Amino acid sequence: MTAVLVIEDDDRIRLALLLALEEEGYRAYGVATAEEGLRRQRSDPAEYVLIDLMLPGMDGFECIRQLRRDDDVPIVVISARDDTHDIVAALEAGADDYVVKPVAIKELSARLRALRRRGRAGAVSSQVFGDLEVSPEAGEVRHGGQVVPVTRTEFRLLCELAEHAGRVLSRRQLLQRVWGYETGDERLVDVHVGRLRQKIEEDPANPRHLVTLRGLGYKLQR
Amino acid sequence: MTRLGLRARVTAGFAIGALLLAASMALFSYDLTRRSLLEERERTAVRAAYFDAAVVRSGLDTDAPNVVEVLRSLDTGSSRRPLLHRDGRWYGRTAETDASPVPDALQRLVRGGEAGVQRITVAGQPTLLVGVPLSDTTSYYELTSLREVAQTLQVLALTLTAVAIMTAGSGAALGWYATRHSVRPLTAVADAAERIAAGDYTTRLDTTTDPDLTRLSTSFNRMVDELVERIERDRRFAADVSHELRSPLQTLAAAASVLTRRSERHDDRTATAARLVAEEVSRFQRLVDDLIELARTEQPAQRELVDVATLARETCRARGLPDGLVSVVAGSTAEWLVDRRRVEQILLNLLDNAIRYGGGPVAVRLSTRPPDTGVLEVDDAGPGVSAADREVIFDRFVRGRAARSRAGTDGTGLGLALVAQHAAAHGGRAGVDDRPGGGARFRVELPEALP
Repeated sequence: MTAVLVIEDDDRIRLALLLALEEEGYRAYGVATAEEGLRRQRSDPAEYVLIDLMLPGMDGFECIRQLRRDDDVPIVVISARDDTHDIVAALEAGADDYVVKPVAIKELSARLRALRRRGRAGAVSSQVFGDLEVSPEAGEVRHGGQVVPVTRTEFRLLCELAEHAGRVLSRRQLLQRVWGYETGDERLVDVHVGRLRQKIEEDPANPRHLVTLRGLGYKLQR
Repeated sequence: MTRLGLRARVTAGFAIGALLLAASMALFSYDLTRRSLLEERERTAVRAAYFDAAVVRSGLDTDAPNVVEVLRSLDTGSSRRPLLHRDGRWYGRTAETDASPVPDALQRLVRGGEAGVQRITVAGQPTLLVGVPLSDTTSYYELTSLREVAQTLQVLALTLTAVAIMTAGSGAALGWYATRHSVRPLTAVADAAERIAAGDYTTRLDTTTDPDLTRLSTSFNRMVDELVERIERDRRFAADVSHELRSPLQTLAAAASVLTRRSERHDDRTATAARLVAEEVSRFQRLVDDLIELARTEQPAQRELVDVATLARETCRARGLPDGLVSVVAGSTAEWLVDRRRVEQILLNLLDNAIRYGGGPVAVRLSTRPPDTGVLEVDDAGPGVSAADREVIFDRFVRGRAARSRAGTDGTGLGLALVAQHAAAHGGRAGVDDRPGGGARFRVELPEALP
């Protein structure tokens, strides 16, 4: 059974989420603080982490950063706040997705399944973009010969762009193909592209491979 | 009667003031000039008359004087005419001198031995008449034409009238010009108020430009500050309330989903209760989302270039509708400068409204209208909206009569209010009409949408 770690300080919300996730077929367990969550994830790693941002002690942003340091586990923020500032900060810290409370359990479950995929069925074989190599089958990205650690979401984003190498994909298309959203927050795409650039570009401020086409979207090129 | 505007009133005041001033100055100078000209002329005439009278007296001082010859010998020029009354007869330069134009009163005065001067009109000409007694039976009169003086005065009067009119005109122009400057601060206040109404809450008046207007500017700015603070407080309150509602809603949503999944294991009554809980939780959730959105719509639109046709097709697909519904009217562009998120919400809410109350949308039409307005229309095949409801359905928590009677209760009652607010954030408006052939046609107009 797929394990989900729920980091949420509100007892009732945590309990209700655990009940509902178990009903959906997950093995769910919950903790009330970020510190406990980090401990738990080290000793008994779950396949997903659901995290609230406002936590006593260490806050959600810092917890995401620490989780991300040595793990590519999909992290979904579940918060009652929907300020642009919070969303961008959480995504930049390393979260894969951001949902605003209250979220329907069916939708949450669909989000989690979309994030779990690594690469795509029938993905193309290795592609080389100068010093950048994307290998969907091996699930690897190499930059200058070195394997670059990317999260699953970043990897799917990169594969999607590699598959359409040299062509522009709109934010909306990427949102649909990588996150499975019909309509949604395009900042998800922007922040993930930003994070990818930090890993695969020599100069992330002046990207060579992953370029922005103003008003259109993104393109991966040699 | 409509009251004249400030500018018109000030201008009229200036014009009337200038006219009064100029007219009184003109009258005064006319009168002064006239009087001094006439006095001068009179003095000259009297002196000449006395001189002539002396000549006539000495000419008559013979035994049988020829009166006409004596009068003819006078050097009077063309402007003076001598007359002599002697022994009850009138003499002039010509023999057939008519009855004298000399008034009886003056005749009596001169016959009494006193000299006199009178202004009279002879053959339509202003004339000065000087009478000098020569003896008991003889009086000498001299008529001096004042035509030249009269002409001079006429020219002077015309000139002064023209000057007065011109002065009044200049006064009006000055008033118009001066009020342009004095009305300018009011224009600035009006502009600022309009910008604030359009949602730009950073607008303030410059308090340093004119010391006379500092108080107005300062008060205006303080009013805006307080207004902004109140709006911000309301917005924060709405956001806080909504935020506080979201957390318990999450518990409810998760718990309701457990109940729903297990409903087949419950008896019918429990299953119905579980279904009601789940449905109401999701309605509650939409309500909170819409309230948060409403709290947010106070902010001005953030415009960017958006391909609205593509956005509309995506929105249709998101609602499980065929994207063939969307059409762009020939000759129009669908690339608009609008707030993407707001336009997406407008589309979603209009589609939801059509699905819920209008039997589903039958067309989504994009067009443009001069000069730069983007027009977005959603047609449905429902019962339409009665004329009485066309305004109120865009208010919060109002549902049309038809909607109420059809018990479409899963809406939040905020969808169309949001559409109207999003349109207003663009400086536009939302409205509804009958669709030719039945159903309703919702129309949203977004000005300044063309790049």
